[in-house]
Amino acid sequence: MTRKLNPTLLIVLLAFPILWFAPAGLKSYGLYVVALWLVMSIAAMGLNLTLGYAGLTSLAQGAFLGIGAYATAILTVKAGWSLPASFLVSTGLSFAVGIVLGFPALRVKHHYLAFVTLAFSVVVFLVARNEEWLTGGVFGLANIPRPVLFGIDLGGGLAFYRFVLCVTLVLTLVMWWLLHSPWGRAFLAIRENALRAASLGIDIRAYTLLAFAIGSAFGGAAGSLYAPLVEFIDPAPFALSASFVLLLTVVAGGAGSFFGPFVGAFFSYMLPELLRATGGWYLIIYAAVVLVLVMVSPTGLLGLIDRWRDHRSQRRAATIRAAARPTLGARQGPQQGSAS
Amino acid sequence: MTFKTFAAGVALAAAFAAPAFADTVKLIDVIELSGPGAPAGTNWKNGSDLAVAEINAKGGILGKQIELIHYDSQTNPGATRAAVQRAVDEDAYVVLGPIFSGPISASMQITQRAGVPQIVGGEASAFTKQGNPYIFRTSLNQADSMPKLANYLRDEVKAKSVAVVWINNDFGKGGRDAIIPELQKRGIQVAADIATESGQADFAADAIKVKNANADAVFVYLNEEESARFLRAVRQQGIAKPIIGETTLLGAKVIELAGDAANGVKGHVGLLVDAPNPGFQAFGKKYMDKYGFTSDHNGIKGYTAVYTVKTITERIGKFDREAFAKALHGARIDVAQEPGILIDTKWLANGDVDRESFLVEVTNGKPVVKATLPMINP
Repeated sequence: MTRKLNPTLLIVLLAFPILWFAPAGLKSYGLYVVALWLVMSIAAMGLNLTLGYAGLTSLAQGAFLGIGAYATAILTVKAGWSLPASFLVSTGLSFAVGIVLGFPALRVKHHYLAFVTLAFSVVVFLVARNEEWLTGGVFGLANIPRPVLFGIDLGGGLAFYRFVLCVTLVLTLVMWWLLHSPWGRAFLAIRENALRAASLGIDIRAYTLLAFAIGSAFGGAAGSLYAPLVEFIDPAPFALSASFVLLLTVVAGGAGSFFGPFVGAFFSYMLPELLRATGGWYLIIYAAVVLVLVMVSPTGLLGLIDRWRDHRSQRRAATIRAAARPTLGARQGPQQGSAS
Repeated sequence: MTFKTFAAGVALAAAFAAPAFADTVKLIDVIELSGPGAPAGTNWKNGSDLAVAEINAKGGILGKQIELIHYDSQTNPGATRAAVQRAVDEDAYVVLGPIFSGPISASMQITQRAGVPQIVGGEASAFTKQGNPYIFRTSLNQADSMPKLANYLRDEVKAKSVAVVWINNDFGKGGRDAIIPELQKRGIQVAADIATESGQADFAADAIKVKNANADAVFVYLNEEESARFLRAVRQQGIAKPIIGETTLLGAKVIELAGDAANGVKGHVGLLVDAPNPGFQAFGKKYMDKYGFTSDHNGIKGYTAVYTVKTITERIGKFDREAFAKALHGARIDVAQEPGILIDTKWLANGDVDRESFLVEVTNGKPVVKATLPMINP
């Protein structure tokens, strides 16, 4: 088992120093886009746990992003809390709300669950928009501070990006640990066959709630970083469309694959920026790429690589079989050779 | 393989920065070319392109040609922020746009921090109240328009009660929060206070609410496409009460989309190509010839924004962002001095503008100016 795990960890640990140093030459725009990619990767990682590993279709990840962002914005702007404390509270709040929303997940599945979570997204959006005394309503909350941590001012683009990178590393390691713990295997077992999982002594109720709540907590954590990254929030980025884009992110990256969220978030949040070079066509090109991707590979970009790898190994095997055929034929007669 | 994707991402991200040219001056326009703001943003973009082409043909600003780059804001605060950040990185002399207030609020700290002047098309009142010395408007603040409108409702329409229909975004909510106290101050009763959604397609239910409220007049404060849909719904319900609005409701796009339903709509307009003013009319004709449709107020905003940059830069005699921002505060540009400004305009210390405005009525699908209102503080 350990031999199989190591490459994933190795990639994470190798990517970290590269991501730490490589964007140093970027200006604030590049840093902002790369930081946004990391933040959205965290949210997508959470959804990947709920959708990819536990098999629960959720359309509420954008709402949890919003809960985290608003909690952090309100605590830092209005109550004057520090970002680390707000981060923990936002993540915890999303976890708690995730448990509450997880209860319907025990009763309904697939697109019915999607409807329940869709309704929840709309409720969160309406609260953010209408409760002006708390959330600033349509005017939003401005001037969300970037903190000074351990004497380091995170106000600059590079410093804040590196802070986001560190948080992403920690959360990625947490997710890795989680997926390779008995919990992670229990999530997979429930997705594959709930009845059999129950017969093996897995408490389906507890694990389903847990998958939902942990996935939501990752959404909240991402929101908590989103607020100081953008320094302004209003309800629009957390509307239903945000949840759809996050769902697309997970599916496009490859649901149930560890690095799927990172690849997917690159696809959803960085690719449109890179396509800006094509001028007025960029959204049309992006939409066409999404269409082609979903048609060609419903298992996502990483699924495409897997399929390519499978295809290659099958071809290699076929070549070996073909090479072996004359020898087999010579020994065992032509009638058996054709069966191989 | 995943790792390679990471590396490719980083490498691609490194290609973001673009070179600058020394013999040109770069203006970057961050504008709504997709999303709900696209009708407004497209007008602005065309207007600014028109102004740049004219100025460049006459030798540019202080001998330098203008290089105008447009970035789509997607009418989304996060995307706007990225685009404005890119504009600052690419060493824009002045940032133009955006128009919608949420995207303005999300991006104005970036230009402020970098000391880059930003000339926006927003009308919501909040963003010139924050003491940002680099933010400038191209149109009247809605807080200044509303008292004029409330007077009009009291004195011309003689309304004792008004139904207020607004769009629930920061533009609409800001307008609603500004008009209601003005109405109450004048003893006009608010018979109905109806919120509608951005992107809403069916206004039948809202039109019925308006009908049931039976007010003397209806005040409508929606974005372009929603205004047109609402007007059609109102006519279907057979509502004959005066329909009053602010600039957007009487805009060219709304009149085009609403068709006959726009006839009889009245209100207060800040900028209008049909105003009795040779500058506006000449601009309207040039715009029509080039793009094949009538410019709305956003086209005028984009056009005058570029001429504002030209005039102020020529006044200070150099390309200096800080001096530009200082000079534009309290500046007055008259048409006599720079015809491209189209209407005499004064900038206040907070970046708001003061200028004449118009009372307009739509007759036979054309906005007709009934009266010209003077500057607040000429």
